[in-house]
Amino acid sequence: MSKVNKSVPLEYSTEENDLKIFGFWVFLGAEIILFATLFSVYFSLVDRTGSGPIGKELFEMPPVLVETFALLTSSFLIGLGVHAMRIGRTKAMMVFYILTLLLGAVFLGVEVNEFLTYIHDGATIQTSAFLSILMTLLGTHGLHVTFGLLWGSSILMQVKKRGLNAKTANKAFIFSLYWHFLDVVWIFIFSFVYLKGVL
Amino acid sequence: MKELFPKEHVMGFVGSLVLTLLALTVIMFKGMSNGVAITILLVTAAAQAIVQLVLFMHIGETEDKKALYVTIIYSVVVGLITVFGTLLAMVWGYM
Repeated sequence: MSKVNKSVPLEYSTEENDLKIFGFWVFLGAEIILFATLFSVYFSLVDRTGSGPIGKELFEMPPVLVETFALLTSSFLIGLGVHAMRIGRTKAMMVFYILTLLLGAVFLGVEVNEFLTYIHDGATIQTSAFLSILMTLLGTHGLHVTFGLLWGSSILMQVKKRGLNAKTANKAFIFSLYWHFLDVVWIFIFSFVYLKGVL
Repeated sequence: MKELFPKEHVMGFVGSLVLTLLALTVIMFKGMSNGVAITILLVTAAAQAIVQLVLFMHIGETEDKKALYVTIIYSVVVGLITVFGTLLAMVWGYM
């Protein structure tokens, strides 16, 4: 392992750590393009509803608001988690990360229920081009959240087992970047799928 | 306890809540024109993204921040060209 630099937070303390964080930002750049292409297709197909429902008939705001506030709050909590990690408060950091993941699970539960409601009402991925891309866009984001829950839980287990060191702090920090990014993507879904859809 | 809640983060959270409520005004006021509504959504969504990037993700905290800005701005520009290029070719071109 390369030299440990004590003047920066633990997650940046080795050259390898530094490069891993930089590499993750490049990955997030690719994720921006992924969601931009999905949004492009969504905007092209949003009016191609065929005999299926339009967004205004389909969307229900109360569950969407629960999803939005769950993700916003979880993004805030993981930010506090990183701060706690930087001042060496391992226990507090773990509590913030656990709350973050719990709110992520709330988000996911509401989203799964939303999908089941759509399908129950006869609005499936095969009903119209609009529903195909809607479910692809929401599903891609939802899969990211699902993966995040598994990834975040495994990092928590490592922190519990090995404590905070250059490696675990690096992983926990990179996970926080991922989680904030998912919140940003959700804000765009909230604004340009749901709010624009019910205008 | 207090040291666990840095002011910057709390302000960021309050900011993101306020921006969410602002975005919600587009469906609360029925008389709003579509153009005004979309403008509000564009501004609040962009502001939310900046709050996350700057206050929560600390994009500017390291020496390689220039490379990070270039990476993210480049991605956003490519993303915007993709979205607005598609809108131009597939939606607005046929109106």
